[in-house]
Amino acid sequence: MRRLLAFLLVGLALYGVYWFALNRLFDAGSYRKQVAFGSVFVPYGWVYALGLLLGLVLLLLLYSLIHTALTNRIQGRKRSPWPLFWQGVTHLFLWVLILLVYYPVVQVVAASFDPTNNLFSFRRPDTGFLLLDAKVIPYVPEPSLENYAKLVEGVVLYPYQVGLLLLGGLALLGVALIGLLRRLLTPEDWMDFWQGRLLLLLALAVFALALTLSPRQFTGQGTEAKFLLWVRNTFLISGLTGLLAVLLTATAGYAFARFRHLPGRYPMLLFLIFVQMFPGFLALVAIYYLLSRLDLLNTFTGLVLAYSGGIISFGTWVYKGYLESISPSLEEAAMVDGATKWQVFTKILLPLSAPMFVFIFLLQFVGTYSEFVLANLVLTGVESWNVGVGLRSFTTGQFQTKWGIFAAASVLGSLPILLLFYGFQQYFVSGYTAGAVKE
Amino acid sequence: MKHPPGLKGFLLALSLLLGLLILSTGVGILGYLALEAYLAPPGWTILVLALLVMVPGAILVGRLFPWLTDWYYFLPALSFLLVFTLYPIALTVYLAFTDYSGARSGFPDRSTETQVVAQEGPRLLLEEPVEEALRCRPCAGETVEVYAEGHRLRARILEAEGNALVLDRIPPFQAAFVAKVNAFRFVGLRNFSFILSQASKALFPVFAWNVVFALSTVLLNALFGLILGLVLNNKALKLRNFYRTVLIVSWALPGVITVQVWVALLNYNFGAINRLLGVLGIYPIPWLNDPDWAKVAILLVNLWLGFPYMMTATLGALSTIPDELYEAAKVDGANPWQALWGITLPLLEKPMLPILLSSFAFNFNNFYIIYLLTGGGPAQEGRLATAQATDILISWAYKTAFSAEGQSAYGLGAAISLLIFVLTVAISLVNFRVTGALREVR
Repeated sequence: MRRLLAFLLVGLALYGVYWFALNRLFDAGSYRKQVAFGSVFVPYGWVYALGLLLGLVLLLLLYSLIHTALTNRIQGRKRSPWPLFWQGVTHLFLWVLILLVYYPVVQVVAASFDPTNNLFSFRRPDTGFLLLDAKVIPYVPEPSLENYAKLVEGVVLYPYQVGLLLLGGLALLGVALIGLLRRLLTPEDWMDFWQGRLLLLLALAVFALALTLSPRQFTGQGTEAKFLLWVRNTFLISGLTGLLAVLLTATAGYAFARFRHLPGRYPMLLFLIFVQMFPGFLALVAIYYLLSRLDLLNTFTGLVLAYSGGIISFGTWVYKGYLESISPSLEEAAMVDGATKWQVFTKILLPLSAPMFVFIFLLQFVGTYSEFVLANLVLTGVESWNVGVGLRSFTTGQFQTKWGIFAAASVLGSLPILLLFYGFQQYFVSGYTAGAVKE
Repeated sequence: MKHPPGLKGFLLALSLLLGLLILSTGVGILGYLALEAYLAPPGWTILVLALLVMVPGAILVGRLFPWLTDWYYFLPALSFLLVFTLYPIALTVYLAFTDYSGARSGFPDRSTETQVVAQEGPRLLLEEPVEEALRCRPCAGETVEVYAEGHRLRARILEAEGNALVLDRIPPFQAAFVAKVNAFRFVGLRNFSFILSQASKALFPVFAWNVVFALSTVLLNALFGLILGLVLNNKALKLRNFYRTVLIVSWALPGVITVQVWVALLNYNFGAINRLLGVLGIYPIPWLNDPDWAKVAILLVNLWLGFPYMMTATLGALSTIPDELYEAAKVDGANPWQALWGITLPLLEKPMLPILLSSFAFNFNNFYIIYLLTGGGPAQEGRLATAQATDILISWAYKTAFSAEGQSAYGLGAAISLLIFVLTVAISLVNFRVTGALREVR
């Protein structure tokens, strides 16, 4: 039965590919045999590319044959050259893949430094080098920070905000430095301690900055000068949503983990799982109606409240699992000494749970940073847009699109999440995959 | 006092908690309605009032039934789930059977705003004949909003004659204006019969593409992730951690930004992808302008976005397979190919299946990639304006309710959402059955 299903799926997929190849790929009538104005066209270029790859593979083969022959002669052993060859082919494959995966990233980063919008125009550079002329390798004749400058144009910071910014920058530097030291030296206790403190400082500085910035400080002309305001909005929304997620899940997770005597614990857990089946954003019409009735459209409060339901089930579930992995003996000792449940929770368990709270916070923060449906629905005014909604205004709506500024904004807007993700990589990787298994 | 045991105790606790919630919400709504005529407060006053009632109420009930305090730990999560997840779902079901729309939004229609000349108890004298000013015929039974600076009140018209109308209640302020409220009505199954009558123009093709999209994107990503996972799981490979870290980049970038970047890269005339293809001797491809190529573009972009997750998941699952199995197989003379088909793939099935299923459920409602990449387009003949070549169910619902093409047909959008709910729950049930998540709870 299962095998039949698999065969059916594969058959259908193959048929789809076949149909597409027949009707689109190899059907000359279905596409224009015309090269876009100003672009480079190399007839049978793919043959050259394949030839290049083949040549590299042959080189690898030659290298591994000679290398093994030499080492065999010197060491007097008989080893097969094939493992070395396959190792080399694997590296080649991975590097080609890396080139493909990073191609879009490189193009956008390059476009952000290009004030002439060269990468998005018909103008064809004349350098004599094929790949540069084709702009496959980005051709940026006069790189400058002009696009970035336009994004921060007219932003007025108060002195204490500059101070906060500096504080945050220093904290970030410290965190990075300790991270580097941790790699180089053997990890020690003081590193953990100070890294934690500095991270907290960084988070507080960023949060304070987000809270104190007001739309009036963005005086530049045009929508692009509001970009930093959108970043601030996103930080505010995602940060508040993350905090709310921690607040809402902490007590429930504790109760599920420790109050095993309560009747109805099992149905409540079932209820949580049941609720998780309904992705909240599917009820978008109802959420829109609810928020319009509560006069919360175009407010951050409305969006934060609409997001809040999303993580409760998952967060509670994860936190419950974490608490169950901690031995209750300490709590029992405290209970014997007359501590109440609330005291046990706040004095003993909360300090122990910091890593879990960071995890839940980050999950919700990163998740809502990328959320689009509800944000697009709720945030209607230019000054309350978040990054995702705001970026859309650069590429749609207007006749003339601001590609360079769009690229710069994309780079800046992605940086925080990129840093968070790579900084807390373990959290995300284990969290998403383990979560998927446990859901 | 001890907690009452068993089912009785559970139901008692639950009814006390729910009673508290319902009571405070009720007080909030009633308080809002009472305040409306005097202060015209914003809608969220309901929430504040409810909170003001709930906190002292909880303390009071806690004094009366000390055993209930254990349940208070559930209260924050429970109340948020009820108000912002379950209530919207119930509301969706209700709205799906109404003609709620931009024109019938439940808000006063400002174009019918008419000045009140004189007021005497519930009797208002307008400057124009009622039937013309409020555009209603007959006017008796219609809901109107009466307002003045800082005051507002909703009332029903009892009778209307000439310039005068009689309300069912007396406004406690000097009324300045009156406007008709565009109330929405219960229309039964009309939204669903509309969906079915237009099924060949919207529902069937959209649903078919939705399933094909979710299925092929999961299979494609899983296949790619599996290959990469197998390659990177080779412990003899140098730099494997480096490769893993570097290849994960498209997962680390916020999708809402990268998808929009892809729109620029897939541009027909000067997109970076077509430039690369030109160097390879391939004519420019209309990635986002052709109904079929747009589907391929979506699958490819989703592959770029999604393969790191599948790769990581595969690596995680592979790390649970003990090395001894391979050693034993080697001793028995199996070649690597046989080890792959005999050991690795069968053992991968169990941990990967739930990941594939939840990935399917996620992609089934993957709104943002569709909406941001193609906007559901390009346009295809013989389809509704809201359901174009690459629209999936959720983007169809969104466009029906909130875009210019859909003309703000909220009720219809809610009906489509309801369909999606049913499908999503069905997928989740299959998921639970396969993974045994419900058994694990015990």
